[in-house]
Amino acid sequence: MTGQAFFVLTALAGGPRHGYGIVREVEELSQGRVRLKIGSLYGVLDRLAAEGLIEPDREEPHDGRLRRYYRLTRDGRRALAEEAELRAATARVVRARLGLTGPAAAGAAG
Amino acid sequence: MSGDRDLEQRYRRVLRLLPGYYRQLWEEDMVAAFLDSWLTGDPDEDECVLEFCRPGWQEVASVAGLAVRLYLGAAGAPRRYFAWGQAVRRAVLAVMLVHAVLGLNVLVRTAWSRRLFGLPAPPASLITASPGGVWPPVFYVVNVAWIVIFVTLAFGHYRTARVLAALAIVPGLVALLQAQLTGIMPAPFGPWAWWVLLNLVPVVAMTAFHQDAPPAARLPWLLALPAGYLLVIVPLMVVQATGNLAWVPDLPGQCCLLVALACLAHAPRAWSRREDGSGVWSLTLTLLGAVAGAYRIITLSDYLYDPHLIKVSLAELLILAAAAALVAPDAARAQAATPASPPHPYPG
Repeated sequence: MTGQAFFVLTALAGGPRHGYGIVREVEELSQGRVRLKIGSLYGVLDRLAAEGLIEPDREEPHDGRLRRYYRLTRDGRRALAEEAELRAATARVVRARLGLTGPAAAGAAG
Repeated sequence: MSGDRDLEQRYRRVLRLLPGYYRQLWEEDMVAAFLDSWLTGDPDEDECVLEFCRPGWQEVASVAGLAVRLYLGAAGAPRRYFAWGQAVRRAVLAVMLVHAVLGLNVLVRTAWSRRLFGLPAPPASLITASPGGVWPPVFYVVNVAWIVIFVTLAFGHYRTARVLAALAIVPGLVALLQAQLTGIMPAPFGPWAWWVLLNLVPVVAMTAFHQDAPPAARLPWLLALPAGYLLVIVPLMVVQATGNLAWVPDLPGQCCLLVALACLAHAPRAWSRREDGSGVWSLTLTLLGAVAGAYRIITLSDYLYDPHLIKVSLAELLILAAAAALVAPDAARAQAATPASPPHPYPG
């Protein structure tokens, strides 16, 4: 799973969102490091929809246009959980190898 | 929906880069998200934004990148876009194979001329004098790099292959510019045609190897490297060693004849239409035929002084055109197929 797809799924884990809502949420989640352009966002969304990981939720009128909301599917939730577990396990290994685990490191970090 | 807003219209024009089926599904949604990213809710400010602002280059680039991925599609894409994607990827692999075979030839000749591995001395007719200077070692490295690029691509490491290939074509451009500026160009068009058609174009076309691209059939492509060397380079070396080099076509002629032979070999499959995917190979060969034909036509101008060479070159073009005509109908069927329905559901 690409970093962008991971962030988009994570954004939708908090509830259904429309296109620009996802962009803002991803930017916030990534602390400003990932700023999705609209072309990139829809490249990710159509791929995730094709894989059955997200689906349309509803459409709402806003300023004369329709906003389409997306939500995670059950498969999407499962895929995100697996990816999060994988990334957490990798992060644990990295922290251990860098000597960032244990009370001393925690103290230093604090 | 207010369809007369300038910023919206400008963005819709950018979205025309995308295939029609995709715009039908996503355009309104993309426009809504795009305008959301610009509008502030302040009526005066929004009016200025809508009237005067334009989509940024990064936004345009993201749509262009999406368009490349869609037109050169992967599995799940409508059939015609999948066919184009596969054909371009196979054509790029074929050109990389040519570079790799030529690179292997350089390696073998170097080993032979230095009598490595206990090899006997090569015949005098196979020994070519090195011009000296900085370029021979540079091009030696570049030739070896093409082998690495081909293998990397076949193994599916697309990004690495793209970066290496982009670097590998730079020395050729610098050498050409140097030759052009110092007036020592061996021919006015041939070297440039080689660099543009068989270096720059394939490297740009490597964008077809995007993250959705299916992996290439690794083993057949890897086996094609030694096979290409044995079936093409070794016979050419024999001809050269026996002093009959005058009978060998030049490089554009060899490209035309090789593609023509491939078309002839594939023609029975293309005509029987019994095997799935034959259309993709026909489209691949048509693309390669277009490149080889363009290379031959451009280099014709280097032979204007010799009517015999012009006749030979035209004969090569005719052979290529006749062979390509055998697979062209199958190629047309593959790329003209009606787009399939999208694989996922949408509201409404």
